[in-house]
Amino acid sequence: MTKVLLIEDDEETAGEIAAELADRGFDVEWSSNGLDGLAKARDLRPDAMIVDRLLPGMDGLTVIESLRKDQVRTPVLVLSALGAVDDRVRGLRMGGDDYLTKPFALVELIARIEALLRRPPETRETTLRVGQLELDLIERTVKRGERNIDLLPREFRLLEYMMRRSDQLLTRAMLLEEVWNYKFVPATNLVDVHMGRVRHKVDGPDDAPMIHNVRGAGFILRAVS
Amino acid sequence: MAIVPRAGEVIGRQGSKHQMQFIRSNTFHWAAALAALFAAFVTILFGIIYFKIDDYLIARSDRMITTQVNFFAALPPDRRISALEDHLGQDSRGVQFAGIFDAKGNRLAGNVARLPDDLGAGAPVKSVRMARADDKQADAPLVRAVARSLDHGHVLMIGRNVDETRELSRVVGGALALGLLPAFCFWLLAGAWLSVRAQRRVEEVNMRVRRIIAGDLRERLPHRNIDEPFSRLAAIVNGMLDELETTINALAGVGNDIAHDLRTPLTRARLTLERGRTNATSLEQFQEAADKAIAGIDQSLSIVTALLRLAEIENSRRSSAFGDVALGDMLREVCDMYEPIAEDKQIALSVGMSGPLHVRGDRDLLLEAVANLVDNAIKFTPRSGSVKLELSRGERETILRVTDTGPGISDQEHEAVLRRFYRSDKIRNTPGIGLGLNLVSAIVKLHGFRLIIHSGPGGRVEIICPDEPVGRA
Repeated sequence: MTKVLLIEDDEETAGEIAAELADRGFDVEWSSNGLDGLAKARDLRPDAMIVDRLLPGMDGLTVIESLRKDQVRTPVLVLSALGAVDDRVRGLRMGGDDYLTKPFALVELIARIEALLRRPPETRETTLRVGQLELDLIERTVKRGERNIDLLPREFRLLEYMMRRSDQLLTRAMLLEEVWNYKFVPATNLVDVHMGRVRHKVDGPDDAPMIHNVRGAGFILRAVS
Repeated sequence: MAIVPRAGEVIGRQGSKHQMQFIRSNTFHWAAALAALFAAFVTILFGIIYFKIDDYLIARSDRMITTQVNFFAALPPDRRISALEDHLGQDSRGVQFAGIFDAKGNRLAGNVARLPDDLGAGAPVKSVRMARADDKQADAPLVRAVARSLDHGHVLMIGRNVDETRELSRVVGGALALGLLPAFCFWLLAGAWLSVRAQRRVEEVNMRVRRIIAGDLRERLPHRNIDEPFSRLAAIVNGMLDELETTINALAGVGNDIAHDLRTPLTRARLTLERGRTNATSLEQFQEAADKAIAGIDQSLSIVTALLRLAEIENSRRSSAFGDVALGDMLREVCDMYEPIAEDKQIALSVGMSGPLHVRGDRDLLLEAVANLVDNAIKFTPRSGSVKLELSRGERETILRVTDTGPGISDQEHEAVLRRFYRSDKIRNTPGIGLGLNLVSAIVKLHGFRLIIHSGPGGRVEIICPDEPVGRA
């Protein structure tokens, strides 16, 4: 079972997060302060950690820094009420792997934790495959079965990212950050429009859908079962 | 428990010392120093005048007695004595001294009993003490005198009393006392008055500033309409207070507006939840209510996030993250991002540029600014219109222009859009534009660039990036 260590001082927030994680089948360990959290991180060797930025005892970033000094590479999702861009950059530089600003949607948190746990391995392969879908990174071509799919470069980039993370929920914020390198959420719902284009091309009128819209959360690319 | 005097008590105690305070005041010290300097100067001046006049008078009487001694010496001996008697007879003021003495020093004529020993015949004019033969006074006055040898060993002496100079010094001294003393007193009084006046003004300013500190922002410092440093300073401070008052009032207004903007979706969320809790009979109905409530809360949060982001950029003073930004690539990226949306609205989105242009800045922020402008342009441009992104060089500046075929910004709105805190209205009435433009404006200002919003019809917004930005933090 995947073990997740949650270091968060607000009991109610922690309770909700822990409950949600438990529902999703994670084994959750909770710690309410920095020092205790650091000790638990060393003893329990969790698979992933969720660390609040401001903690009693020891600052969240200091906890991560100490772990990284001990060569502990556990992926960490930093939570913070400080939304500042600089703060985010600092959080990532200090060894955090992802950063989520409070308040956040629980689906966003889960999606990001799963993304951290299932980081795609560095492969030398030049072809990505999900079910019938085949993407050639060298030729820049995409095929679904025998059908060639003609994609614009930006659509290709989006599909590539999704294929590397198939079967994972990808939230709009994650896509904006990773695919377009946007550090802000634009007013217009850009992601949906782009996704609509790609979906239209990937899921032909006679095909079973591969790109699924998860209402209120994001998108998943899944092989047709 | 320590007894801490309240502010009022301290002021009261200071008030009793008030009368003596002016003596210690800077103004008074300066006035006193100036008065002393003035007195010294006048005394020296009078002294110089006195000595000059004295010199002049002595020189004149010296010339006179020299002429006289020559005159008498040239006369024939028989007429000499009578001429001398005549000469003394005409002297009504009794300042003339004269005498002819034989070789033994006995008086032959004149009004001087005996020839002073220290007066050598033929020597230049000098001061000697001598008494008149008829004068019974004990102390002989100091007299300028000259002696000349005549034939038969006789000696002719002519002298003149220069006691006039003593009189002169009395007059000068009197004038000095008469003029200087009142002037000195006047000076001290003026110093004291100025000092008390300054003290009083400082006291008044102090009192009013206390009131301002206490929260009365409508209080102003006293000043007259004359070009005087203190008044000018007061006017400057008043100007600052005006600006502060406007800002604080505007902030209070923004606070109210934000409260309103937040309250509306929160009220909706609350009502939905309340109704859902009472009325929902199935899980679906309850989920629907929860979704609506979450949407309301998300809207409130997005307002808070946007405002915080704006504050963050406005307060940001660091340019350490600045690098070389290729504007052309950035525009193409934004264009790439917005193309599908533009296509959906059948809007022609295009990028035009004269060549690769670079500016120094924060790429992410500039991208955000341009994306905001393009977002707005597409949002407000009707179907089948066009949105153009252009990049060109001006005089020592790079111009980034976003034009659209939408309604643009009207003249009245144009004023308002650039006014501080106008966003409050805009958030309510036309979602997007107010906050978006404020964000763009904040980003542009952070870079030391300029944002120019042209009046409609047709939207035209320019970001002017000077090669040497001014006011960059």
